[in-house]
Parts: sequence; C-alpha cells; structure tokens
Amino acid sequence: MAMYIRVKRSKTTYFIQCDPTETALDIKQKLHTLIDQPVNDQRLILVNTGEILEDSKTLADQKVENDAVVALTLRKDDNEFEDVNIVQPNDFYQSRDADSGNW
Amino acid sequence: MKKEDTVKLISAEGMEFVIDKEAAMVSQTIRNMLTSPGSFAETEHGEVTFPEISAVILEKICQYFYWSLQYSRGKETEFYIEPELTLELMMAANYLHT
Repeated sequence: MAMYIRVKRSKTTYFIQCDPTETALDIKQKLHTLIDQPVNDQRLILVNTGEILEDSKTLADQKVENDAVVALTLRKDDNEFEDVNIVQPNDFYQSRDADSGNW
Repeated sequence: MKKEDTVKLISAEGMEFVIDKEAAMVSQTIRNMLTSPGSFAETEHGEVTFPEISAVILEKICQYFYWSLQYSRGKETEFYIEPELTLELMMAANYLHT
C-alpha cells in the first residue's frame, strides 16, 4: 500500500488503500465490493478541486494524493447523478441546537 | 479488498468509517474485540460503536491507523495533529491502546 484515500458519501467514510498508478476505475471496483453499486453508477469527485475523476486516468494524473478526500455520488432512478452530499460532524451540533424536536 | 476484511467504526454522532481490519488492529482494544474467541456482536457484524468518541476524533484516529501502517513499512512522514484536538485525541488513544 503506497497510499490511501478517503471516499465520503452522506455520513459514511471509506478508507481505500491504493497506489498512485491505479485508475479511478480501479477505485470504483474496490468500492463495488463494499457497497454493491455497479461501477457505472458511481461517480468520484476530488473534493479539493471539484473535478470529476475519469475512469481511464490514474490517480497520480488527476492529482489524487495520499489522504485525499474524494466524494462518491451514485446514479439516481432518473439516470442522473445525485449531488455531492457529505455530512460534516459540525452539522450535527448545529442541527441539534436548531431543532431539538427531531431528536 | 473484501467486505469481510473491513470493519465499520461508528462515532458518537452516528458517522461511519469503513476501514481495513488490518488498519483497525493497530489499536489493541479493537484487535481484542475482533479476535477474541466467542461471538462479540462486534465481531459478527464487523461494526464497532464508540459512543464517547466524536467523528472528528475518530476520523483522525483512522488516519493515524493508516499512517502507522505506512510508517511500519518504511514510509516516514509526519503525522499532523491540530493543537485543539490533542486532549480528546489522547483520551481516545488511551482508551484504544493505540
């Protein structure tokens, strides 16, 4: 293992071990074994730059480095990809203060 | 990478971190939970909940696990810790025997 990336969606973070020479598709295949979503229904976005990762390019080519945070979005029923949705821990505290009714 | 080889750590807020068992076992406490004989609920579902550890700290801990693996394989980099996290992180490290 040369490095790892953090793939985030909603309130879940997947730590994925990988090499800079692996492609985005390789990462999607690893995710497939964890979440049972076909690679075609996954989209990976580098959070720092907002760029969508291309399947054929390597991580190094797309400036994905050790400890990078990558957002995962999935294809919805209407064939479009959902928006990036990453829950930040701070959101919890805010929402707890804002509407305690939901707790 | 197989699903059985990963473990899900859940923070106080319900945030989930899916990491390799190999990485989680950097923590002696988690290693004991995952390898002890008899069936801990934790072992069977591959899930461990930490009601006393916040997501920010738990994520830092997971990053440390992987850093530690890399370090043990000869990749010597620095592990950066934000000063405001140190106290909570030390308490969690003590609990996790890390």
